Amino acid sequence: MAQSEDPHVIVTSDRLQSVIEALSYASVDEFDSCLDLLQRSGEIKDEFSELETAFSIFVRELGEAKSELNRTLAQQESINRELEAKLETIEVQQAAIRELSTPIIEVWAGVLCLPVVGIVDSQRSAEMTETLLETIVAKQARMAIVDITGIDVMDTKTADHFIKMARAVRLLGAECIVSGINPGIAQTLTHIGVDLTGIRTLRSLRDALQLYLRETEQLVVHQHSQLARKLTAEA
Amino acid sequence: MPVETRAFAIQGRSDAIVAASQARRFALRFGMATRRATELAIVVSELASNIVKHGIRGEIRLAHDPEVPPRGEITIEAHDVGPPIRDLQMAMIDGYDDVGPIDPALLLRRRGIGAGLGAVARLADRLEYRKEEGGKVLTARFLLR
Repeated sequence: MAQSEDPHVIVTSDRLQSVIEALSYASVDEFDSCLDLLQRSGEIKDEFSELETAFSIFVRELGEAKSELNRTLAQQESINRELEAKLETIEVQQAAIRELSTPIIEVWAGVLCLPVVGIVDSQRSAEMTETLLETIVAKQARMAIVDITGIDVMDTKTADHFIKMARAVRLLGAECIVSGINPGIAQTLTHIGVDLTGIRTLRSLRDALQLYLRETEQLVVHQHSQLARKLTAEA
Repeated sequence: MPVETRAFAIQGRSDAIVAASQARRFALRFGMATRRATELAIVVSELASNIVKHGIRGEIRLAHDPEVPPRGEITIEAHDVGPPIRDLQMAMIDGYDDVGPIDPALLLRRRGIGAGLGAVARLADRLEYRKEEGGKVLTARFLLR
């Protein structure tokens, strides 16, 4: 590099112009075009060209850092999207858990079935009562089968409330059958001296359904025979 | 054997269901009998629904301590940020809350029958209560037999 005594460096305006242009490219993230311009103007070797070289090194590094940053941002964004999707799934599942805790199925016209599985605490027992009684009215059900095959332990007070639910069903003009009582629950119920009169208990859901069908059949047969008798009397 | 712990943040009803079923597994893992483990789960469920109903937010902490005689112990701590229980003895009576008997007409709106703490006291081997900065802790203990 030629070092002159003169502290001034003479630069033609087109070289300055091209550096300014390069800078404006860099400012809008057009790093490739910026570097092109800087390299093209790098034919003359003087102090100004050193500035150009330093500038181009800086621009190259800036470009790399910028693209690295963009990559990370894109990754972060996709992670965020994934997290949002997962949160949404969790919310949906939580709603499902709440719903599943008291499902009521209309197994036959006018026959509701409430299968109870899992852990029954006092709040759940209260919720089941409320939902069952509302559904009996809404569906004008004649019978409700509460199947507790999946339950082996209940607190005494909760069990007591449960039996009261069965009694409340009768007040609404429907019949309540409790099926699937297992030895543990049977012990709990007798231990607290719950009065089970008026509540039919059967071993399984199948027995409960059979009982219902048999009774409806009898009812139909009875009605038929009454009708037949009436007709013969009239004839 | 070290003390093993697990914690569940309780914010909604479904958190109570999850905590209860996980607590049952936790108890079974340390050799608790199935029936007893389900009773433990009921206790977790009652305590967690109390957090949802009466507290602002809270946490259920399970711990298994093998050193407690005869065969170790599982503790359930229900921490919550919220008002203290005004009268624990009263709250433990079935059909009562912490100030007195609950009006039966309000039971449905209350979403409960006022028997939760009673159930906890009946099912657990021991129940302890203490106030904490800004909240309270109920500890239910289950011995492994």
